[in-house]
Amino acid sequence: MARTMQTTEVAEAPHYRPGAAPAGYTVTRLIAESTAIFGRNLKKIVRIPMMLFFSLFQPMLWLLLFTQIFKKLGQFPQFQTLGYSSYLMFFVPSVLTMTTLTSAFQSGMGMVADLEQGMLDKFLISPIHRSSVLIGKVMADASRMVMQGALILVVAVLMGARIKTGIVGAVVMLVLAACFGIVWAGLSNIVALRTKNSEMTMMIGILLTFPLLFLSTAMMPAALLPSWLGTVGKLNPVTYVINTARQFMNFGYAWAELGKALGIIAVVGLFTLTGATRAFRKATS
Amino acid sequence: MSELIEVEQLTKVYPDGTRAVDDISFVVKGGEVFGFLGPNGAGKTTTIRVLVTLLAKTSGRALVAGHDVDREPEEIRKLIGYAGQFIGIDIDLTGRENLILQGRLHGMSAADAGRRSELLLEMFGLTDAGNKRAGAYSGGMRRRLDLVQALVHEPPLLFLDEPTTGLDPQTRNALWRHLEELRAGGTTIFLTTQYMEEADRLCDRLAIIDHGKIVVSGEPAELKAGVGGDVVTVALPEGTDVALVERAKRAVAGFPGAGEPTTFDHSVAVPVKDAGRSLSEIVRRLDEEGVPIAQLSFTTPTLDEVFLKYTGERMRVEETGHAQSSMFASMRSSGRRT
Repeated sequence: MARTMQTTEVAEAPHYRPGAAPAGYTVTRLIAESTAIFGRNLKKIVRIPMMLFFSLFQPMLWLLLFTQIFKKLGQFPQFQTLGYSSYLMFFVPSVLTMTTLTSAFQSGMGMVADLEQGMLDKFLISPIHRSSVLIGKVMADASRMVMQGALILVVAVLMGARIKTGIVGAVVMLVLAACFGIVWAGLSNIVALRTKNSEMTMMIGILLTFPLLFLSTAMMPAALLPSWLGTVGKLNPVTYVINTARQFMNFGYAWAELGKALGIIAVVGLFTLTGATRAFRKATS
Repeated sequence: MSELIEVEQLTKVYPDGTRAVDDISFVVKGGEVFGFLGPNGAGKTTTIRVLVTLLAKTSGRALVAGHDVDREPEEIRKLIGYAGQFIGIDIDLTGRENLILQGRLHGMSAADAGRRSELLLEMFGLTDAGNKRAGAYSGGMRRRLDLVQALVHEPPLLFLDEPTTGLDPQTRNALWRHLEELRAGGTTIFLTTQYMEEADRLCDRLAIIDHGKIVVSGEPAELKAGVGGDVVTVALPEGTDVALVERAKRAVAGFPGAGEPTTFDHSVAVPVKDAGRSLSEIVRRLDEEGVPIAQLSFTTPTLDEVFLKYTGERMRVEETGHAQSSMFASMRSSGRRT
């Protein structure tokens, strides 16, 4: 009885802001909170352009070097019969995917920074839905990946690459790569929340990502890979993402393949994002 | 007023077996400033983190505004502001952006949060730094910004974990004044501190906590009275002979509330229950005996002595670094009020 009265008293105290506490939790509120956190994360990205470019350094290097190293390969008849006009045209989707995967490491590192700098406590102490922290983060990560991916495509075009499906194809490629990047960022966040160590998050991220790239069709068409590698590649989600992007880049619209790739991403995401949510809950309780 | 915080037999045992908080019970009433006074590692932060819903308790019961910390943490979060012992600011955002973000997370509109931030930046001397990246702030400025974050949304219940640790004296005073204003406006404040002076000045009631247990709690005056009352000291003129000092000693003994007097040099010290009320009696008695008085003074015990009495040790200050020990030194020198 006394307790109920107390609650009312607090609710009517002069300092109390009704706006801070609607009775029922609404979707509008979730959007507002997620947007606030998204805005904060986006500011961090834009404000330190070094970070944006730092993770682009390696993909750019690959784009410039690998297309030179394998330039002659693009002129081999076995390669030509597959329909690629040059190694560059073959390789751009790989670099794009690699870019978003590299960018995904940063997601976990950002999570560690938020933990270390006490920002996570500030989020958790406020009456926001826990999901808004993750939604705001995913949205910002996706924006960063699209920005970075777009830069890669611009450089590729400057190097002479052309996207067969034009702007639509470019958008599809960026969105596809970003979707996969987000799913991968989930993994990075799991490591981040479990280790709470930024170096460890980076190291494990690299260890998980590079084999994945090499055990796919990123460097070489499946037809030219040793058969065991081709088999392994078929089990590798990266293969589907890159192959789909390659279709849009080199041959034309491939909606069925796109659907399949997105489906595979969704399945992987089910594991990584659920895992990340669970790790988040564990780390914050 | 009714209880805003109710804690019953609260215990927190960390996975490594550390019993950080051990079966403590207390209440905080609406509108009061309640303090947890204790050294590092006493369990202050653990208690506060349980109450602000950042840490799960092991056992016991904890209600904030009638809401159970385990069952209705969301309800509690709507009512509280919290500044932890560790600074939580985004170093890539400006001071102003940090404050606005906090306001928005607490459901304020961007415009409201902006106006409120402006006011707080001004109040805590951060206006000039408001548009600078928080990463470029000095340690003291970061500390201030972190504190101010807890105030943006004007919470009716404020949790401050060692709010003045690492603050310069000027800011400390500004914060104290602001907290007093907030209390006057009806805000309930739960704070932890290592400083007797702070607890004495701000707290309506306090609990001394050590090794995870509350050793004593009550109003500061009550606690100080518990370590023995005041001491009145009468200094006779220089060169007064011993016989006269002895006569003075006999004169001031044996009235209600007085303890056994002691002498040193040409002074007589008598412990009394209430110095203010005993002074006239002492003066009258000395007058009757014809004892001349050169100086009359009295002292009241400090919380430092309360702490010493109940924990058997001085406040541990050596672990807390330079800023605090120097603050402590200045406190000691003015420790006994005359």
